[in-house]
Formats: sequence, C-alpha cells, structure tokens
Amino acid sequence: MFKKVLVANRGEIAVRIIRACRELGIDTVAVYSEADRRALHVRYADEAYLLGPAPARESYLRADKIIDIARKCGADAVHPGYGFLAERDDFAAACADAGIAFIGPKPSSIAAMGDKAEARATVIKAGVPVVPGTEDVGNMTDEELLAKAPLVGFPLLIKATAGGGGKGMREVESLEEMPTLLQSARREAESAFGDGNVYLEKLIEGARHIEIQILADTHGNVIHLGERECSLQRRHQKLLEEAPSSALDDDLRLKMGSVAVKAAQAVDYVNAGTIEFLLDKDNHFYFLEMNTRLQVEHPVTEMVTGIDIVKEQIRVARGRTLSYKQDEVKFNGHAIECRINAEDPYNNFLPSTGRITHSLLPTGPGVRVDTGVYPGFEITPFYDPMIAKLIVWGETRAQAILRMRRALEEYRIVGVRTNIPFHQTLMDSHRFMGGQYDTRFVEERFSMEDAAETGENNNEIAAILATLVAHREAERSANIVNRNERDASNWKWVGRWERMHR
Amino acid sequence: MKYITSVEGKQFLVEIIDEKHVSVDGKVYEVDFESVSGQPVYSLIVDGRSHESYIYQGEENWQVLLRGRLYPVTVEDEREKRLRAAAGGGVAETGEFHLRAPMPGLVVAVHVTEGQQIKKGQVILILESMKMQNELKAPRDGTIGRIRVKAGETVEQRQTLLSVV
Repeated sequence: MFKKVLVANRGEIAVRIIRACRELGIDTVAVYSEADRRALHVRYADEAYLLGPAPARESYLRADKIIDIARKCGADAVHPGYGFLAERDDFAAACADAGIAFIGPKPSSIAAMGDKAEARATVIKAGVPVVPGTEDVGNMTDEELLAKAPLVGFPLLIKATAGGGGKGMREVESLEEMPTLLQSARREAESAFGDGNVYLEKLIEGARHIEIQILADTHGNVIHLGERECSLQRRHQKLLEEAPSSALDDDLRLKMGSVAVKAAQAVDYVNAGTIEFLLDKDNHFYFLEMNTRLQVEHPVTEMVTGIDIVKEQIRVARGRTLSYKQDEVKFNGHAIECRINAEDPYNNFLPSTGRITHSLLPTGPGVRVDTGVYPGFEITPFYDPMIAKLIVWGETRAQAILRMRRALEEYRIVGVRTNIPFHQTLMDSHRFMGGQYDTRFVEERFSMEDAAETGENNNEIAAILATLVAHREAERSANIVNRNERDASNWKWVGRWERMHR
Repeated sequence: MKYITSVEGKQFLVEIIDEKHVSVDGKVYEVDFESVSGQPVYSLIVDGRSHESYIYQGEENWQVLLRGRLYPVTVEDEREKRLRAAAGGGVAETGEFHLRAPMPGLVVAVHVTEGQQIKKGQVILILESMKMQNELKAPRDGTIGRIRVKAGETVEQRQTLLSVV
C-alpha cells in the first residue's frame, strides 16, 4: 500500500484525490502556488509545500520542483489529476526514474496517444474507425488535397495542422469552392501559427461527442465503464456531461465499449483513460482521441456505476488487479454534471474574478458537489474558471433533470458571477429535455435571450425587488448626506439604521 | 415614496407605503423583505409567496437574477423621471466614453489606433484572463481617443484602457 501520495494539482480535482486517499488511509501531500495558500486542497492535505509564484509555468508546471518535494517528503506516488502535468510523458518518466509511482499510464502510452497523427495510425491498425481524412498522410500540396477531397467526401473541413480554436478552419461544401477556401485557410493558419499546412477531414454533421471510460491494470485486464455524453460545449469547452447518453442503446454501447477497449490495448494502456468518439446521426462512430488521464467529468460515471475511479487508479498503480470484471459493471439510473464556471452568461461569458463572499451549496438526496472554493476564497485570473462541479443522480433521465433544476436553484454563490443561470436555462430547454442536441447546439441554436422569452415570467416580482433595494439605497444615502438635518435624535436614527440592516 | 419601475419595456408604478406594504399599479401587497446575511441575496415574501433573488447594481439599472433569469430593471422616483424628461431623455451617445477592463488580465492585442473611426460592436481590444481570450467591443459608433495601454501590458479590473469620443 502507498503510505503517502503527492497530489500535483489544485482546485476541485486535488480535493477529489485527497478525499480518495483519506478514505484509503493514505497520507496526502499538497503543492500550491502563492495564489493558492488558502486553497481547500492545501487545508485538507496532511502536508503542503509551496511551489512558486501564481503563473502555472512557475508553479504547477514545475515538474522538477514537484519531484524534488515528493522525494524530500517521502511520497510513494504522485497523482497528476487533469491538466497541468497529467499528459506529459516526460513527467511520468521522471517520476519513475525517481522511484516514485506515477498514478496514470506508462510514459510510452501517453506519448503514443499525445501525438494526434500517431494515435490515429495506431488505432487504425487495431481496427478502430477514425474520421476519414488526410491528417496522417503528412503535408500535401493544394493539387494533392484537391485530388484527395472527393475520396474524403463532402462536406468536409479544412483544418490547420498546427491548429486549434477554429483558426484556419473552413467548411467546404463542394470541389468548386475548395481552391479559394484552401487559400484563405492557409493564410489564416500562417498568420496564427506561422505554419500554413492544412489537412482535410470529413465533416460529421449533427455529431455527438461520446466518450468511453476505460480502466486497465498491469495484469492485462481492460474494462470499460460505459459512455458519457459530452456534446454540450461552447468554444470546445465542455459545459455539461451526462451518463448514459440518450443516443445509445445497449447494442451500440457494447460495440463502442469493445472498440474503446481495443484502442486502449493497442497502446498497452494501464490505469484510467478515456476514448473520445464522434457519433453521427446514423450511429457511425469515429475515434477522435484518447485522454490518458482522469477526466473532469468522471463523477457521472461514478454515479451510475458506483465505482470510485480514483480509488481504482490508486489500486492499479500499486500493481493490484482491478476490483471489477466487465460483467460486474452494472449501470444504474442517470447522472448529470454541470460545470460551474466563474463566467458571466449575460456578458458574453466573460470570466469573473473576485472574492467569494457567500456560498450555499445544494445538498439533499442524489446531489454531489465537487469544489475547491469556499467563502473568503479569491478567484484569481491565473487558472481555469471552473470553480465547482454539480452532479446529480436520478432513477431516470427525467428525474435527474428535475433534480438538477432543484439543485441549481439552491446553489448560491456571491462575489463572482457564475454560469448557473445558463445551466438553469438549459434545463428548461425543450431540446435538452428531449435529448435532441449535438456539439453545435449551444453555439448555434441556444441563446439566453430566446429562452427567457418563453420561460416563466416574474416581471412584477422583479419590479418589487428592485424598487425595494433602490428605496433602501436612496434612504441610506439621504441619511448620510443630510446627517445634520435629521429630525430624529441620533440614537433613534442609529436604531433605525441597524434595524434596516439586520 | 412613489417610483416608476420598468422591466423589459413594462412600466409599474410602485409605491412603498411602509415597511410591510407596497402597492403596484394601485394594488396593495403585504411584503416582508430581508437581505440574507448582508449579501446581495434578498428574500422577499409577497402575500405568503417566498422569492429569493440576487440583486446587483449595474451601470444604469438594477440586475435582478430570479429563478435562473436575469431581469434588467430601472427604478426612478418621480423627480428623476421629470429631470430626465426635461433633458430630452438623451443617453450618452455623445461625449467621451472610457472603455474599462471588465476584469484583471493581459492585453493581447489592440485592434485600433488613435483617431480611428469605429462602429458599434467592432472588436477593439483583446484581453486575456483565465486562459481565455476575450474580445472587448465598441459600445457605440465613434472615434478612438487616447489609447492608454499596449499589447503585453497587464491591467487591473476597471482600469481605463482607452477612450472613445
């Protein structure tokens, strides 16, 4: 058994890992940046060590310092969480070199799945379907791409090799319009990344983003824990996940699960990992990529399977076999996770920073909140805006939605703006309720304003509330300005003022 | 005290009669209004129905967040209403406008130069915060006045970035 685990992360995921360790009787070590001295993971851990200044590259990305601390404090293992160093094969290798267990896959698997072209080539060999395209072919000239295009099929996407964030991306409907679009895509890629190389990929219309959770041990056992539906995204950031997906039936689940297991076996995978697929309207699915780490949205799988994924990760890292065989994995009910971000949904989702002055968490049956913040904690601009994950379980999808509605309304956070109203609006959307959505839904067919027009209207109550607050404010400032003109005595006035602020 | 309160184009005449009573368009309600532990979260019981809401003071109005929906509300007393009517109801479409940083962050790019004509909604500056690049847009047509920041600079919340005349 490990005696001491160092958690090389921050925020809710560091807290999540510390909780698993605590329950297993393992001591925990937190590392933190100067901005996180008062963070919850530091308060919950048995030991805590300062890494450096707030920016991640000077703190949470300092692999050398983290390994140094692990050695000095005698940690047996390092859990990287997600983000930061989680998918860096050099970090995993450096841990192994230092004689510290890395709670995650082998460096070679991280490397194989980290390079997109290599990952594609590897899974194709294992018989896993991929989105038709030219990414693995290497750089091609315009003439070559135009010749290849009909084979890929229209509509297709031109994507920048060095790309990301939609830069250098073009949708092509036909061969005729392709030369012009190629030129503009190359120009945009050149100016954004200094690399004008592009490749083609078939455009999957109405696609859903479905991922399969994998667990694998060092004894050759690989199982899957079913799917997560992650189609609700904005700017390629997931906002809401659920399990199971309303787009899958048992047959398709079985098929995608076994393909995911094959993909993991192709890179000799160990520990927890996730295979991401695109699923089209005709139930064809295509491998997108593998995330070689614990996922943000792992709790929805935990809620429907009852399996503690983090504990399994620790178990596997100790060289034990998995606690479950495939036929022992049972799915029960439905789970939904809403990512609560410090963003203002009424102001173009701009990040919101500041001190959390008040927070009231939703509780009650079937509700789980994973968070790293509390009243008095300062949300800084240095890290991810996700401050909490609200997860609910229900016997059916409908019950989970009703429960999520209830929990969102209970959740109070004051001090920063959050996207809770966005999730509330989403819960009321008919398309969401009907499970009728794809990866473009939030960006193309959803708006806070439209939803507001059809929803419940409380104009009059809002008017009373605002007037009462405005009236109080006016009275207070009038009292301050006219201090010497008060008709009542000062004592009487103080009494009134206090009553008003009780 | 009487107020003219507008919500989404609808006007209400709200009178605060005393601590426990208000009337809306002449109809009297019994109210119980409390600030929840001194926060901008308020609890209101109107004739037995319990409501809870966040109420923020915006630049020109009150923002009431009630059951997952945001209501922009303007509240004017009769004197204010008369003053505004006298001034012709002109909102600040002219005069100098200062674009301030809505949050602390790093200026990634300034897309305009001093003296440049701009249109409402045009992206004038990119501000990076929390790993996200945020476009700051022109709130109205105008000409760029003084630019006080340049790409690569870190700015504080509410710091003036540039002015529009």
